[in-house]
Amino acid sequence: MTTHHTSEGPSGPAPRRIGPARLGIYAFLLISALFFLLPLYVMLVTSVKPMAEIREGGLFALPSAVTFEPWIRAWSSACTGLDCRGISPGFWISVKILIPSVIASILIGAITGYALSFWRARGANLLFAALLLGAFLPYQVFIYPLVRIYSATGLFSTIYALVLTHVIFGLPVMTLLFRNYYAGIPIDLFKAARVDGGKFFSIFFRLMLPMSIPMLVVAVILQVTGIWNDFIMGLTFGGLANRPMTVQLTNLVAPTEGEIAYNVNMAATIMTAAVPLIIYFISGRWFVRGIAAGAVKG
Amino acid sequence: MSKKYRSLWRATGLMLALIQPAMAAEKTEVLHWWTTEAQSKAVKVFADAFNAAGGQWVDNAIVNGDVAKPTGINRIVGGNPPTVMMMNAGKQFGELADAGLLRNLDDVGSAENWKQVLPADVLEAVSRDGHIYAVPVNLQTPNWLWYNKALFEKFKVQEPKTWEDFFAAADTFKAGGVIALAFGAQPWQQHQLFNGVLAGAGGRELYLSIFRDKKPEATETPEFKRVAEVYAKIRSYTDPGTPNRSFNEAASMVITGKAAMHIMGDWEKGEFSAAGWVAGKDYGCVLGLGEQNFLMDSNVFIMPKVSSEAASQSQALMAKIMLDKDVQVNFNNLKGSMPVRNDVDTSGLDACSKIGLEVLKDPSKQLAGPDWLAGADMLNSLADVVVQYWATPSQTPEEFAQKYAAVLEQFQD
Amino acid sequence: MKQRPIRWSVYVGLMPAILIVVFAYLGTMIWTVGISFTDSRMLPAARFAGVNQYIRLFATDRWLTSIQNMVMFGVLMIGISLVLGFLLAVAIDQRVRAEGVLRTVILYPYAMSFIVTGLVWQWILNPTLGIEKTVRGWGFESFRFDWIVGQDTAIYCVVLAGVWHAAGLVMAIMLAGLRGIDPDLWKASRIDGIKPWRFYLHIVIPVLRPSFISATVLLSLGVVKLYDLVLVLTGGGPGFSSDVPAKFVMDYLFQRQNIGLATAAATTLLVTVLCVLTPWLYAEYFRRQTPKG
Repeated sequence: MTTHHTSEGPSGPAPRRIGPARLGIYAFLLISALFFLLPLYVMLVTSVKPMAEIREGGLFALPSAVTFEPWIRAWSSACTGLDCRGISPGFWISVKILIPSVIASILIGAITGYALSFWRARGANLLFAALLLGAFLPYQVFIYPLVRIYSATGLFSTIYALVLTHVIFGLPVMTLLFRNYYAGIPIDLFKAARVDGGKFFSIFFRLMLPMSIPMLVVAVILQVTGIWNDFIMGLTFGGLANRPMTVQLTNLVAPTEGEIAYNVNMAATIMTAAVPLIIYFISGRWFVRGIAAGAVKG
Repeated sequence: MSKKYRSLWRATGLMLALIQPAMAAEKTEVLHWWTTEAQSKAVKVFADAFNAAGGQWVDNAIVNGDVAKPTGINRIVGGNPPTVMMMNAGKQFGELADAGLLRNLDDVGSAENWKQVLPADVLEAVSRDGHIYAVPVNLQTPNWLWYNKALFEKFKVQEPKTWEDFFAAADTFKAGGVIALAFGAQPWQQHQLFNGVLAGAGGRELYLSIFRDKKPEATETPEFKRVAEVYAKIRSYTDPGTPNRSFNEAASMVITGKAAMHIMGDWEKGEFSAAGWVAGKDYGCVLGLGEQNFLMDSNVFIMPKVSSEAASQSQALMAKIMLDKDVQVNFNNLKGSMPVRNDVDTSGLDACSKIGLEVLKDPSKQLAGPDWLAGADMLNSLADVVVQYWATPSQTPEEFAQKYAAVLEQFQD
Repeated sequence: MKQRPIRWSVYVGLMPAILIVVFAYLGTMIWTVGISFTDSRMLPAARFAGVNQYIRLFATDRWLTSIQNMVMFGVLMIGISLVLGFLLAVAIDQRVRAEGVLRTVILYPYAMSFIVTGLVWQWILNPTLGIEKTVRGWGFESFRFDWIVGQDTAIYCVVLAGVWHAAGLVMAIMLAGLRGIDPDLWKASRIDGIKPWRFYLHIVIPVLRPSFISATVLLSLGVVKLYDLVLVLTGGGPGFSSDVPAKFVMDYLFQRQNIGLATAAATTLLVTVLCVLTPWLYAEYFRRQTPKG
């Protein structure tokens, strides 16, 4: 949907006075905000309470004695089975997976989108259609053969397997994103570059990529969030050696012996959520743009 | 290669000393999922003995068997196998053996005289078409009733022998405000409990006609109805916190006196020992309520086919070490299970293991465990039905029997 | 039309995409569909078994339950998220104070993974830990809120967590849509004295149709792929009462070592999605559309 009359401000009727309708709107918004904030609140307060307080007062009471010990334990000494190194190894593995995956998936997506927008290739429509379908199909269709291929090639449970997987499944949305963006770039610009003797790759790297900064930001936001939050790929292909943070989190909080350390578990959960949350808070409207762009639209 | 292994160790946190500078033996990667404290100590018995004999044990312990097993199988099929891998006895490794992916262990078996020292049923459970493909390391049965002795004395309750006794005792505890039965409603625990009821309240004939003969009509018998009723009745003696509770959480409920009894396999003793409990003094044990049977189950290790001669020799050495007399005793003492060899010194066993051994001596009480008789596919499908029955108090025993029979119907071959 | 010269370097640039489509998508898909017609258990076998796996699949209670759950989850989660998201967008659009804060608060769940979402709701909904325990602590001893351990109610917990995760997304899409509505429409409605609710119902909602479609498509993608959330929130339980197809496939592939049945289930999902998608994709991307705007 393209709109020409975009007004920046709210468009609802201007309020005249504080009437019951107005109060109703605020009540609705307030209750909704509480509903959305509740889990964050629970995680934050529980993560700084000693266990005794959790047993006594439950999850929702404010902490009377704030302690950061659960955070320290969650990061560096909480146990999964016999492994007592906290969630931090998972954090670093996630970082190791994230950086190459984001770069590779965006670059390949951008080149593909660029090729599909400006160049003619036989079967391009078919390729595009197949990519689109790939965006929608359930992973379960692909997973078993991929496990077998990775096992046979020795990639299984390596970082490479995860990077490759994120490139494979990130490609459709990335392609779409850049294809749509390049569709908005005047064709004359491209023609001029051609006349100047530009080749496929030189036009891409010298002209198109520098022009794509806004889309690159959106793509980075989208991919960092998506790859960081991935669970199923890390679980299936990461094996033992390369479990990302989300997978380690589920292992860490799995009940083992004795009392469940909810404060430590919640601290670990906040840490796992921190990266996308920080991205969200600092990127603000860009995040919304990312979602809107990721919304598969023509 | 070494880098990869380093990261594997770091990930498991289980570094075993394995420096053998003189021999520079082939690294032998052992994939297993024994990771609780008691289990790790038991595994270390194998590792130490293997290293002392000139091997080089590389430990690859994965916390969850549901993750470990597919990981290992995918590596075997993909041509990048661990040298040695843990499995369950019975039908599970059959497909791998059929596909020619496992090392035939007949040579080790005959050199070590396994035919004489292993019970015939066990030998059959590790064989496929007459060839041995796995090393059994222990014997255990899932149908023990463990109980807190202090609570039994406090409420003046006698040790139950039958299911009627059990329910009478449970009523006493329930009235006294104690959780009668500690229970974790994870699917494997539910299915295990049910199979114990099937053997104990239903009897061996019914049990075999289901798991061995796969007869759907067995579910129409009064015995099966009784099994279904007993199983449903157990539900009312558990607390509301059962969903997703692990077995060791349930064990700790008995230890702390929150619950009086727990039905679980031999490995429960590992938890009790870790809490400093002594068999016969702090806790009591009953093997098989109702008809007494030892539902034989065994952990085994399989040896995937490897290309190098050195690796193959390491596998043979491993097979020999795991069934060594001393290793068997030390390992099983720590693991809480029974040695699989019938010629080892049993004087050091605890009071409960002695009961188990006594029962095991009577062939009429030996009963092959479900895993030995039926494939994982059928057992899992049956487990689904059992789990649903437990979770649906409104389901009648008759409805349950029908669903159970429908699964058996699917596995007629 | 754009000028589209043919160059080999184009194919070099497209090579990663071509390889991915041919091998990672089509190749694996054919492999999966192929296995589903064999009697494979732990290992892929070449023994052709016709549609036996499919017959067994549709005789399996757990599969039927998981399909039913997916449909129920899809309808409820999408329906509630659309209504709630739309109402929130409309409310925020009424020149309220602290609009920025409200938008941030409502949208942040969407940045969280399903793992985090599932875990935190599992704690809140756990009767012995969360809401039920707290309310009882206030003195309402008979208060009950134990959906998560109930055979028939556990799936509603998944819906609840799903709505919490997704409603902000709908709000953001709808708010962008509302802000894009021609201001003249508002003026006209005010001059004509149309009641606000009528205006929203009869004019705004039809105008926002594309926004509703985008939101629905985005949310439905999540419905078919629903796995992580269920895994950590309910584990598919009690029993398998809150199981979903994606989890069914994963369990049978990896834990149950029954790849024949698992691939049959995956193929069924595939066909379902294709049936729904193909016409829509075709209409959206390949049919010449009338000029927009």
